Amino acid sequence: MIFLLLIGLLVLIAAGVPIAYSLGVSVLLYILLDDPQLLSVLPLRLFAGFNSYALISLPLFILMGQVMNSAQITSRLIDFSMLLAGRLRGGLGLVNVLASMLFGGISGSSASDTASIGSVLIPEMEERGYRKEFAAGITVASSTMGMIIPPSIPMVLYAVVAQESVGKLFLGGVFPGIMVGLLQMALVRLLARGVTQSDQQPATLRSAAARTLRSVPVLLMPVVVVGSVVSGIATATESAALGVLYAGLTGFVITRALRVDSAWDCLRSAALTSAKIMIVIALSQAYIWVLALERVPEAIAGFVVDLGLGATGTLILVNLIVLAAGTVIDVSPAILLLTPVFAPALEGLGVSPILFGVLLVSGLAVGACTPPVGTCLNVGAAVARLDIGRIFRGAAPFLAANAITLLLATVFPQIVLWLPDRLMP
Amino acid sequence: MQTRNFERRLTRGLERVLAAGMLSMFLIIIVLVAMRYLFQSGLVGANETATVVFIYLSSIGAAVAVGRDEHIGLDLVRRKLGPAGQRFAYVLALLLVAALNAVVAERSLTWIATTGHVPMPATQVPRLVAQAAVPLGCVLAVIYCGTRIAAAWREDSEE
Repeated sequence: MIFLLLIGLLVLIAAGVPIAYSLGVSVLLYILLDDPQLLSVLPLRLFAGFNSYALISLPLFILMGQVMNSAQITSRLIDFSMLLAGRLRGGLGLVNVLASMLFGGISGSSASDTASIGSVLIPEMEERGYRKEFAAGITVASSTMGMIIPPSIPMVLYAVVAQESVGKLFLGGVFPGIMVGLLQMALVRLLARGVTQSDQQPATLRSAAARTLRSVPVLLMPVVVVGSVVSGIATATESAALGVLYAGLTGFVITRALRVDSAWDCLRSAALTSAKIMIVIALSQAYIWVLALERVPEAIAGFVVDLGLGATGTLILVNLIVLAAGTVIDVSPAILLLTPVFAPALEGLGVSPILFGVLLVSGLAVGACTPPVGTCLNVGAAVARLDIGRIFRGAAPFLAANAITLLLATVFPQIVLWLPDRLMP
Repeated sequence: MQTRNFERRLTRGLERVLAAGMLSMFLIIIVLVAMRYLFQSGLVGANETATVVFIYLSSIGAAVAVGRDEHIGLDLVRRKLGPAGQRFAYVLALLLVAALNAVVAERSLTWIATTGHVPMPATQVPRLVAQAAVPLGCVLAVIYCGTRIAAAWREDSEE
């Protein structure tokens, strides 16, 4: 019966049925064949999936990112990054990574990072002699930091599914996110030989101060959002609402780029985007409920423990599975499906759920940049007007930075756990 | 043509509801935080109300996403088929989505009849106010599946 459930799901997804409904139809088939009496459970499971105050943070974080995008903060972030790194060799590549690090701390979404930064920097980099694959590749690869550096929408999702602290997960992503950024910058310096230097004049102290001041309101965003959760001032949902308020004020008052009609469009679009994730969450709850009935998590936990690989060995194996899954499943459904399967087994081996959450999201972030499903890759292809194969070739060397960080954080868990342990013991 | 107009008007109306719902959910939470820090008081039932709004947003939004063909999915295999095969796979997927939603909507009625009268803990409003979002979203999704199938049918006959 369990094979029917798993194969049914794969066949439906491959046939083009949306992932949420593939999950739901597989459960429906399972129930019809096993015990039709259980059909009454379906609306209840769907309702239980939607009925969560903690999950309200999801649409609000999405809204926050969209309002920040409409507020045209990207130009300020790029200008500030130019000030810091624009005159170095490979300057625009470095600016691209730096802007993504800053943007990651604001939007919580890699796809919007790729779209916003890519549309400005890819043409500019091309003009300066960077190959288009390189420019698009670094844009896509650096956008992975959007998921790792807090606030992060996938981490909120993991926190809800695994019932872990959002604040701890946010803090857990800080060092791995910074490591990815620094390693990618080192790779840019290494690979960007022979490109035209920026013709920027060195900034005077006065203009540097003015440009820094212009970006301060934008740079304060992660402080407001992450700070309010970590300090206990607000719950994750409330901090997301505060983030929306702050983004709205920035857009209406400071950048003055946000208008009532674009704000209304952000509300509509955020509601739709969140609903698409919510229906996957709700129907995956039904699927997970059937997996639990069939004792699948216990079986996998038993199998993993029997392998005798120890905590680190098992984590490396799980990382490889996550990386492979990330190439064919989108980030949100992957979190929903993999968390209940692996979290109990890893917890049994003494692995911190915070560590697993950060590694899971970091691994899936790489998946978002790999064909065939990679969301960021597809967004990058649309922005750069280049096929995904060529962008992936450009991104691959930089994704090595993600792989190295993933391995280091697996072997040295303190990279992830030190900050949450210190600030939220 | 009539189906297309109906679908467009339905989507436009529902999207307005979604934007308004999103705004009200945001405002409820901001007011909640403001009350706590500025006036040292709470707002009874605010969390529950925001959650009910969220349930409606998710349920209606999921239906609208069916109408806009925007659900998260893979079309790798479907893309490899010819135009007729692609249309067949598309209609089949919509039929499955419609069947699932129809079953859930039908089963919701019994579920709501049994437990809908129970009041919610904070607002004391009967639970059916929140529960009704499930069949509402499912019925809307079935309607959208119908309009999408009709659109695919029309394209087929035009060719």
